[in-house]
Amino acid sequence: MTALAVELRKLPAFVRRDFLVAWSYRMSFVSDLINLAGQALVFAFIGKMIDPDQLPTFQGQQVTYLEFAAIGIALGTFIHFGLQRVSTVIRNEQLMGTLESLLATPTRSATLQIGSVFFDLIYIPLQTALFLTAIAVTFGLHLEPAGILPATAVLLVFIPFVWGLGVLSAAATLTFRRGTNAVALGALLLALGSGLYFPVDLLPQWVVTAAELNPIALAVDGMRSALLGGAGWSEIGPIVAKLAPLSALSLLVGLGAFRLALRREQRLGTLGLY
Amino acid sequence: MTGGSAGESLGAVVSARGLSRTFGAKVALEAVGLEVREGELHALLGPNGAGKTTLIRILLGLLEPTGGAVELLGREVRRYGKELGHLVGFVPSGDRSFYLRISGLENLVFFARMRGIPRRRALERSHELLEHVGLAAAAKERVGVYSHGMQKRLSVARALLGEPKLLLVDEATHDLDPDGAERVRNLVRLACAQGSAVVWATQRLEEIRGLADRVTLLHRGRVEFLGSVHELTALARPREHVLRLTNGRPAGPTMHLAAEQALRGQGTLVPAGGGDSEHYVLLLDDGVVLGDALSALSAADVKVLACRERRSEIEDAFLSLTSEELG
Repeated sequence: MTALAVELRKLPAFVRRDFLVAWSYRMSFVSDLINLAGQALVFAFIGKMIDPDQLPTFQGQQVTYLEFAAIGIALGTFIHFGLQRVSTVIRNEQLMGTLESLLATPTRSATLQIGSVFFDLIYIPLQTALFLTAIAVTFGLHLEPAGILPATAVLLVFIPFVWGLGVLSAAATLTFRRGTNAVALGALLLALGSGLYFPVDLLPQWVVTAAELNPIALAVDGMRSALLGGAGWSEIGPIVAKLAPLSALSLLVGLGAFRLALRREQRLGTLGLY
Repeated sequence: MTGGSAGESLGAVVSARGLSRTFGAKVALEAVGLEVREGELHALLGPNGAGKTTLIRILLGLLEPTGGAVELLGREVRRYGKELGHLVGFVPSGDRSFYLRISGLENLVFFARMRGIPRRRALERSHELLEHVGLAAAAKERVGVYSHGMQKRLSVARALLGEPKLLLVDEATHDLDPDGAERVRNLVRLACAQGSAVVWATQRLEEIRGLADRVTLLHRGRVEFLGSVHELTALARPREHVLRLTNGRPAGPTMHLAAEQALRGQGTLVPAGGGDSEHYVLLLDDGVVLGDALSALSAADVKVLACRERRSEIEDAFLSLTSEELG
């Protein structure tokens, strides 16, 4: 068996571990859903005050503010979890003292990083799908079934971007322990300029221009076009083509930073400190 | 000083040469050598800050040395780090090394999977080891409810998952009660008897008697002694005993004088600290047997109500090797 296959076979063990840990905090499952439902309710009422003519159209399709915001909330939640997950796991492993025990096993650091988020890569899209379905049923959200596959493609290409930022944040956690909000602040700025919760056209022109290369703006626009406007592969393809190199860059920077941070800790002998 | 040498590294599981490690200006290890053979239980003895944990972390590949090299079964750790991980089991000193929200069984299975053991075999091996360390009944309980002793035994079980060639045990018993500590020692002895080389780091001197085959004594990052426990004991200073004496009358200068006269030529008797006039410290002269000294006291009508070693021989040796004045 190749070394890669051996490492890949470890991933289900991370999923099982994280599921069991998450399941031991059952209330957080419920509170996550309640939180999402609460947000949806707030945006549903806000939507009643907003004239749909103020909103952009997707493939010529006029949308309500709730439809517009639901996709933003779903993606925003994904970004939030994705960003904090790796660093939270690393921090928890440091605090619990399990990080050294893990690193003492013949497991590569890349496997640790992937393993740490693998459960969330399954759980969060499921939670997002559940959220969108619940809103669609409760508030009569109009989603285009034909856009589900293209939207999934956008999400898959977007995942490495969030993951890269998450690993970068984890590298900062390893190095600085606390005060690692710089990465989260950067992500917040990207999110603000992406039109997650309001149309990007309302922002200053330079933000609108920057949004053309803002991965979050590209992803949310692609998903709205697919799910609300029924955009097909020909419309989504260029978005994916723009997003892919940015995601790859984010992942490379994140993984490189994490590797350097780990090496630094091993050199300094401070890996177990928190 | 007896320095560690790796000159005879044939058949060694661990062979470290000239290991150094600094943390800024602080020297944690200086030209340390260590050799441990298959089936050998090697004690790494030293006071706090001696460099024991630093050495263990280097052996684990968690820390890079600033100088020197370590080989596990003839392969250099720095070069083959992760590939050698499956040869090594590690029992850390603290009790924070498990996922407290999941069961002991699930923890073991997870760490077995991290060692590349397929799930079915990981499950079998985890059950075997839980039985072996006496935790079968608690297998499905969350580790968070385990006692210190149970967590430590679970830690030993985890270290044995991959049937390691080298077992690194870092201060595993320092926070356990005597029974718990003995159980952990027995488990490690058994692993050693089955062929694992064991490096047992401790600052508890009495622990290594009857446990270790050889001892490396570290002090301030340097090897101060390398040899058997018997050889370490031979370096002991004259033994001291604390006696509780009476001669049927209120204790005081009269009894002290009588006792001193009885012991003339055999040792010196000095009042113990604390102002308790019944307790004395007996310092035996060279070649004098304790029994003879006690007989002499009895013959002088001084009764010995209690007698205990003030420090063990091994502790004497340790102190003489690590103290500022005598070292």
